[in-house]
Amino acid sequence: MSEGHRAAYVAFDRFPSAKGSAVHIRHMAAELFERHGGGLLCVLGGGDLPAYQREGDVEIVRFTDVVPNLLDRAQAFTAWVAEQLAPHRDTLELCHVRDPWSALPVTGPMVYEANGLPSVELPYAWPMVAPSTLDKIRELEQDCLRRAAAVVVPSSVIGKAVIDRGAAPDRVHLIPNGADPVPASLPRPEAAPGRYLIYVGALQPWQGVDVLLRAFARLADLTDLHLVVCSSVSPNRARPLRRLAERLGLGDRVRWQYTLPHEQVAAWLAHAELSVAPLTAGPRNLEQGCNPIKVWESMAAGTPVVASDLPVIREVLGDDGRFVPPDRPAELARAIRVMLEYPDVTHEFAGRARRRVLTWSDVRHRLAAVYDQVESR
Amino acid sequence: MTPCTVTTGFFTLGKCGVMAVAGCPACGRALCANHVTEGGLCPECAAARNQVGHPAAAAAYRRRAHRHRTAQEYSDAGWYVGFDSYDRAAFDPGAGADQDYLDDGADALVDS
Repeated sequence: MSEGHRAAYVAFDRFPSAKGSAVHIRHMAAELFERHGGGLLCVLGGGDLPAYQREGDVEIVRFTDVVPNLLDRAQAFTAWVAEQLAPHRDTLELCHVRDPWSALPVTGPMVYEANGLPSVELPYAWPMVAPSTLDKIRELEQDCLRRAAAVVVPSSVIGKAVIDRGAAPDRVHLIPNGADPVPASLPRPEAAPGRYLIYVGALQPWQGVDVLLRAFARLADLTDLHLVVCSSVSPNRARPLRRLAERLGLGDRVRWQYTLPHEQVAAWLAHAELSVAPLTAGPRNLEQGCNPIKVWESMAAGTPVVASDLPVIREVLGDDGRFVPPDRPAELARAIRVMLEYPDVTHEFAGRARRRVLTWSDVRHRLAAVYDQVESR
Repeated sequence: MTPCTVTTGFFTLGKCGVMAVAGCPACGRALCANHVTEGGLCPECAAARNQVGHPAAAAAYRRRAHRHRTAQEYSDAGWYVGFDSYDRAAFDPGAGADQDYLDDGADALVDS
């Protein structure tokens, strides 16, 4: 490996992947590497991804060790990152990280991009985690956020959460996610049913896909209407939701698509009647916050959005969508029915929303301003 | 023509496809002139040539070595030894929620 990178981007995420986090990493890392003449990207590997790649001035190294316990794996990742950064210690001017385990080995100037907080999200996937363990993880987050030269957050809700964890308010920068414009002439996907609602994204409990399925079951009289779930995760993770769909008698009215390439998702979105973002009112969405790329991409595709009435969605959609109380299938079903019955009003919403979309280029400009500020200190 | 089979690309990955001029002596994959490293290995094998042994053993070694090294460097040994076996047990593969987080490999700590 060559030595002497000036910048490094470190994330405990698999990259590339079909998830929104990968889209985010792609654009943020591109900005970092463009202004530093290349750099080092340390991410998770797995599947068919090579452990090492060199793309021009960018070196990509992937953590591939098999460590079954998640906490052990996170700490092994920290150690591995330390090894990867060590040869560049003298030349590194800036490290951009996305989580505490990536931040721990960084000793120089660091930009911490807080899209989520493990102390809030981990209990969803690991319900046996004890409050005392979460306190330790929170301490880790506090340590890393305090050390960061800048903290980038995609929503003001996360901004408040990181300030509560000790980040200096004047170092917290709000940079929402974005979406690239979708051309109007995108062909309809071959597998697309006639009229369909669409959900795009991962299937964690906080996404509220179960609420959407229950709402869709109440629209059984709309026999020509389908629901397309474009899952960014593998079929295995959809099993509980597929079972729920079967129990609700939805049968083939729900079409499942898995890990579609990002460019194909835009076509599915563009031809949908409505895009649904049924996020739940749990700690992940209310206390931690998020900035759903699915909503940005729906807006960019000109597809009307119906979403849960949460501050994190209001921040993105403004008044240009239809809001329903979270976790209420009956309310969601009613809102969908009304939107389908008044297409003119619905498309007026979508047209206004489309004009407000931040492009990834806008997002990169804002990130560049943060880098400027950090480097001028 | 035998095409080079090294994976390339940043966000959209593919195979290099340029005419191969050699084979990697370690893994046997076909390599074009651009992807032959100084030692004649493919980039992946060259990068990994110092990593030997069972992957889990290597990880444990790295953890121990890193804790030892950084405890002095950062004066924060607590961060690394703070998690005990009770903390770790909640993150064993069998302790996950119904949605299996292992089915598609090592996953993110934060899923946002």
